[in-house]
Amino acid sequence: MRWPAFLNLKTIGLLLSGGIAGAVFILVLIEFDHVTSTEEFCTGCHSMTIVAEPYRQSSHYNPTSGVRASCGDCHVSRGVISATWDHIKGTKDLFAQLFGADYDNPIVNLVHLPDGAFHAREWFRERQSDTCARCHVLDAIKGTRADTLKVHQEESEGKSCIDCHINLVHRKVPGQKVFKRDAWNRMVEEEFGLEEGMAEKIRQGLVKAPQP
Amino acid sequence: MKITTIIVFLLFLIIQPLYAAKVKVDPSEFGVEGGNACVDCHFKTSAGLAEQWKKSKHGQLGMNCLDCHQAQTEDNDAIEHEGFTIAAIVSPKDCGRCHVTEYQQNSSSVHANAVSLISKRLPAMAQNLGGKAIVAAGCDQCHGSVVKVKGDGTLDNATWPNSGIGRVNPDGSKGSCSSCHGRHEFSKAQARDPSSCMRCHSGPDSPDRAIFEASKHGMAFFANRDNMNLDSDSWVAGKDYTSGPTCVTCHMGAAGKLPANHDVGLRNSWNLNTVVSERQQLVIFEDGDKMDLPESQDAPDPGTETTKIDGTPGIVKMVIPPERRRKAMSVVCLECHGKNFVSSFMEQFDSVVELYNEKFGRPAQAIMEALYDKALLTPTPFDEPIEFSYWELWHDEGTRARHGAAMASPNHTWWEGMYLVGRNFYSKFLPQVREVAGKEAEALIQKHVKADKENHGWLDQPNKLSPILGYGNSKPGGE
Repeated sequence: MRWPAFLNLKTIGLLLSGGIAGAVFILVLIEFDHVTSTEEFCTGCHSMTIVAEPYRQSSHYNPTSGVRASCGDCHVSRGVISATWDHIKGTKDLFAQLFGADYDNPIVNLVHLPDGAFHAREWFRERQSDTCARCHVLDAIKGTRADTLKVHQEESEGKSCIDCHINLVHRKVPGQKVFKRDAWNRMVEEEFGLEEGMAEKIRQGLVKAPQP
Repeated sequence: MKITTIIVFLLFLIIQPLYAAKVKVDPSEFGVEGGNACVDCHFKTSAGLAEQWKKSKHGQLGMNCLDCHQAQTEDNDAIEHEGFTIAAIVSPKDCGRCHVTEYQQNSSSVHANAVSLISKRLPAMAQNLGGKAIVAAGCDQCHGSVVKVKGDGTLDNATWPNSGIGRVNPDGSKGSCSSCHGRHEFSKAQARDPSSCMRCHSGPDSPDRAIFEASKHGMAFFANRDNMNLDSDSWVAGKDYTSGPTCVTCHMGAAGKLPANHDVGLRNSWNLNTVVSERQQLVIFEDGDKMDLPESQDAPDPGTETTKIDGTPGIVKMVIPPERRRKAMSVVCLECHGKNFVSSFMEQFDSVVELYNEKFGRPAQAIMEALYDKALLTPTPFDEPIEFSYWELWHDEGTRARHGAAMASPNHTWWEGMYLVGRNFYSKFLPQVREVAGKEAEALIQKHVKADKENHGWLDQPNKLSPILGYGNSKPGGE
């Protein structure tokens, strides 16, 4: 058997280095996806520290089992390609942080929180809550009460986690269908002692939110 | 026709509709689509309430969770739950989709207005003596909370859970059917049992539990509970049961030709929970709302505007005098008692109320008014001991005496009632008046108390012997 003529030392060298570069690239991507999925990276922006506060009180942060879900465990897809794509899409959040509203201000953050929550829930729904399955296996959900096992075995057909489980980790936001912007704005105004109507003006960027 | 018959007949015309109406919704409309899925899951997650519902008439007729809990997305308290839009609170308005008559009757009752009715009393009680925690777990659990839905869709825990009878619901309707018809079994028998009223009608300001238990009516009921036919569809006193009355029998129940009515205060001719009792007229508004009006105030003319309990204006439809309300109550009595028995009993009762009014209520009220006018007391409630004495005199002890007479408990009329009023008045209240008013006290007491020789003349006879306190034991004729 003879080697094909084009397979000379030069092309082999090129192929090899290409392969190595590719492998390194993939490794870098994996590392990149990993690093950019950590709590430390995500909360590098001040705005994210605000949404992280309830998370740190939640059972996803401090379960008795010691399994801690990082930001990316839930919010970044499984698989290198999907994870990288999520991060590419996620740069819009970076742009919003840099050039958008002042999300570092807790008032602005809270005014806009429902939009983020609805978007995140939709994201989970589209993926049939795939990231939950990083840790949770439907057949293994037993709970401490008998009904937890039965409900997950018998009542879960056609549903994914997000269809029943919302408001587990972050601050409570109503379902999108029943969400009332006026009521939410009033809650923000009460919480931060703002005049009536201020929350809507802040949301539309008409006035600068005071620093609470 | 006798006058009583005419009046009762007129009462029938006025108080619409005649009988507690049957639900007119066709049973084929029960069982909202999708609602059975709720049931499947809730038998696992909350088996207790699911089992109760299954046993209930609602469950038996094929109604499911969504029949009552369904909500529109625009409803204030709507939440998304497993793909359905529902509300946790089933308000009287929701129940009224089927139970139209009961909803209408109850909505205008003193029960439904239990929040507005104490709005003047509440601040001093809640803020000065208690605090927010007491309002939520105490006052509001009987009177009802103004339920607040927070911006995040949750119900404010300062206002919910709550089963107070005058609850102001997120949909604006007033009341809580489950206050008496406990969810999720909604048992008729339970609502007719005195125990459902006793949750709130016990304790100092509404001591009806103890009074009923100690009365002959209570004696008859407790000895014959099994014969009371409590879960019967038709429950007319004298026809479906005869052993004894419950609270419902007299205050809401059907008796003879008198129809049942979910307005609990309709038959009360006196107000027994005020400093001085007054007979009360019933103002009925064009929109169906009602309001008690003391007899001393002029009845507004039909067609004129007057202020309702909740402060909003209303057009008067008619005013029913207290005598008619008394007649309605007496119709119930007549199922088991003779006419003379009933009217004489009512006279005994009225005499106790009038005695309380004249001997203690009015003088105490006049003295307190003078003390405030003369700035001998600060206007702030409950910062001076005499304010407690006065409050307990009419609100606790005075109420117990009057309710005791109304419901025929001798012990509560006297020992637990008027005796305590007298003890408070003579041994606490008047000495405190002397303390507070100093030199001005005697003039006040002379004017408002001693001038009434019939009731207080004994104070001017310091030498009248009585052996019950030890005087004269060793003398001839002593005990």
